Amino acid sequence: MSQRTERRGIHVDQSDLLCKKGCGYYGNAAWQGLCSKCWREEYQRVRQKQIQDDWALAEKLQREEEAAYASSHGAQAQSHSQTAVPQLHPGHASLGAFSKFEEKKTNEKTRKVTTVKKFFSPSSRTPPKKDTQEGRTPSPSISRHASFETDQVSKEFVEFLKNLQKPGREIHKQCRAFIMNMSSKKELSADELSECVQDFYQNMADRLMSHFKGSSESVERVMDQVEKYIMTRLYKSVFCPESTDDERKDLATQKRIRALHWVTIQMLCVSMDEEIPEVSEDVVKAITDIIEMDSKRVPRDKLGCITRCSKHIFSAIRITRNEPASADDFLPALIYIVLKANPPRLQSNIQYITRFCNPSRLMTGEDGYYFTNLCCAVAFIEKLDAQSLNLSPEEFQRYMSGQASPRLHSSEGDWPQSGVTAANPVLAQLNHNLERLSLVSSRQQMLMEAAQSMQADLLSWPEGVQREVSGVLEKYPLQILPRTVSAMDANNADSDGPPPLLTAQVFAG
Amino acid sequence: MAAAGGTGTKTYSFKVVLLGEGCVGKTSLVLRYCENKFNDKHITTLQASFLTKKLNITGKRVNLAIWDTAGQERFHALGPIYYRDSNGAILVYDITDEDSFQKVKNWVKELRKMLGNEICLCIVGNKIDLDKDRHVSVEEAESYAESVGAKHYHTSAKLNKGIEELFLDLCKRMMETAQAEERLKGNGASQSASSRRGVQIVDDEPQATPAGGCCSSG
Repeated sequence: MSQRTERRGIHVDQSDLLCKKGCGYYGNAAWQGLCSKCWREEYQRVRQKQIQDDWALAEKLQREEEAAYASSHGAQAQSHSQTAVPQLHPGHASLGAFSKFEEKKTNEKTRKVTTVKKFFSPSSRTPPKKDTQEGRTPSPSISRHASFETDQVSKEFVEFLKNLQKPGREIHKQCRAFIMNMSSKKELSADELSECVQDFYQNMADRLMSHFKGSSESVERVMDQVEKYIMTRLYKSVFCPESTDDERKDLATQKRIRALHWVTIQMLCVSMDEEIPEVSEDVVKAITDIIEMDSKRVPRDKLGCITRCSKHIFSAIRITRNEPASADDFLPALIYIVLKANPPRLQSNIQYITRFCNPSRLMTGEDGYYFTNLCCAVAFIEKLDAQSLNLSPEEFQRYMSGQASPRLHSSEGDWPQSGVTAANPVLAQLNHNLERLSLVSSRQQMLMEAAQSMQADLLSWPEGVQREVSGVLEKYPLQILPRTVSAMDANNADSDGPPPLLTAQVFAG
Repeated sequence: MAAAGGTGTKTYSFKVVLLGEGCVGKTSLVLRYCENKFNDKHITTLQASFLTKKLNITGKRVNLAIWDTAGQERFHALGPIYYRDSNGAILVYDITDEDSFQKVKNWVKELRKMLGNEICLCIVGNKIDLDKDRHVSVEEAESYAESVGAKHYHTSAKLNKGIEELFLDLCKRMMETAQAEERLKGNGASQSASSRRGVQIVDDEPQATPAGGCCSSG
């Protein structure tokens, strides 16, 4: 063997020339020391994996690209100097793929000496890939860490600004810079944060005003979008911040409203007659709207909930009184709705709107009026005492402590289901439910009894049948009689088969 | 909050609160003014607590927002929440009801204490169609109004008397106040900054500085 290699003058071991798979054929260095057949098999597998990986990577990159493009769209075109927003270009994905290709090549080079097994082990492949991923993860777009909702809002914002073209980019740039700035100011107090946001609104509105040359409608339209965008982004960090006692106030108000559960519509002199189906429907809708407020992020959307709630109250009053509702009617009704709804995080929401709503809306607009009324309602509920409900202090105290319930003394007509159970609609409902439950349980008991008796019946039934059968068998023992053929049957005896089939006959003519 | 808009076509936005005891006819007054209807079953608006009116006074556009307030005694303490940031207040009493005039006096005292002279006050004796039952004398009312720097008006929502004049006069006075304020402040930026609600900061300069820091572009 060594003679042969010497003779050829090539210092290669014979075993090295053979296919590394050990199939007996000669291998080739270009094929990682495999023979053509084995190489094709292996290569095919690796290639398949490679293609899949590349696909996954390409898709991921594309998603990132879109997100980053959406959020940095304006800024990127405007300022190349802005360091906060690193540049991304469409060639990014292909670049990634290219570097991967390079990496593959080097892998192939180094692996010439290693065994085939190692070539396929995942450990040799994954680390460089991970590196490339990690290198890309700290993407410029903070939206990547945000929820779907935030992304949606960002996308809409970009879409909206596209119509404005150049100033749109400027607006976007400013908003992004502002959000970046705000996220670095976490330690500020709520009032200072509010100051920052309000200053931003003010600056933006002034600039827009000069841009649109005094068309306040256009300014308002843009400002709404700006508010929506930045407040959706900032919501998590500025709603009910830990630096304030908003949360404590929320709980206090919630407790207070719960303690006032006994306040009736008559005590507040509300001119809504809930006996009328349309009115009670409006009341339910108003309650739903005011509760929904907590789920909105943008101050304007929260105001929208208050406005819708107010409109339902007006409609209820209009149906009851058949005249437009004045503030004298509206405020008590709103108080009643707030007491009934006990909206979640009421104080936080009010504070949030006060701090971060675009001021032009809050001051003179219709939304502002309803919001003011809500503030009044909350203030009234907090300070509510015996006098404000036309009660004596003793009565008020007893109701508050739960020793008595006002509905016991109220006139019969007000509460048709009067009596002890009608003290409170909730209690009445509870009693009603209890009654139903006991009815259901007694029915179930009856059902169980019936089922048991049926089971007993079923068990005894086969016995009964058996007894009957044996009785009948005893009574009529089996007798085998000789076969007799009756006369009539005898006639037909020779035609055992079925009667002949009718055959079609063709008649001439 | 007085003015919004560019220098060329100035649009004034005014907030006016309606104060007064229940049953003095606040609602009828605004409904007559905004809808020109009285006790009508065909009033289109769902509510009469917040109404707006667009006016054009000597070539200037004015948006008037009229805020009705709950007049019941138990809601008296909520007044400051309502009249905060308002440019004008209409204090309504019933000429047949001495008590309601007393309430107006209380309101005037409170408003002057809380808002100073920035707010334009109108004292309105409503229901002059019931003059035969008058319990508040014209002289008393007018001299009182003059003593507190308010204008006095006699109106009847039922007969549609004196209402247009009342609102027109009020608007003119609010415009004068706003213009005087503008002149005092000089530039438009600080004037609009003063419109900021919530925490009121008298000095405008410190606000401008953080604004530059926040929003200046790189």
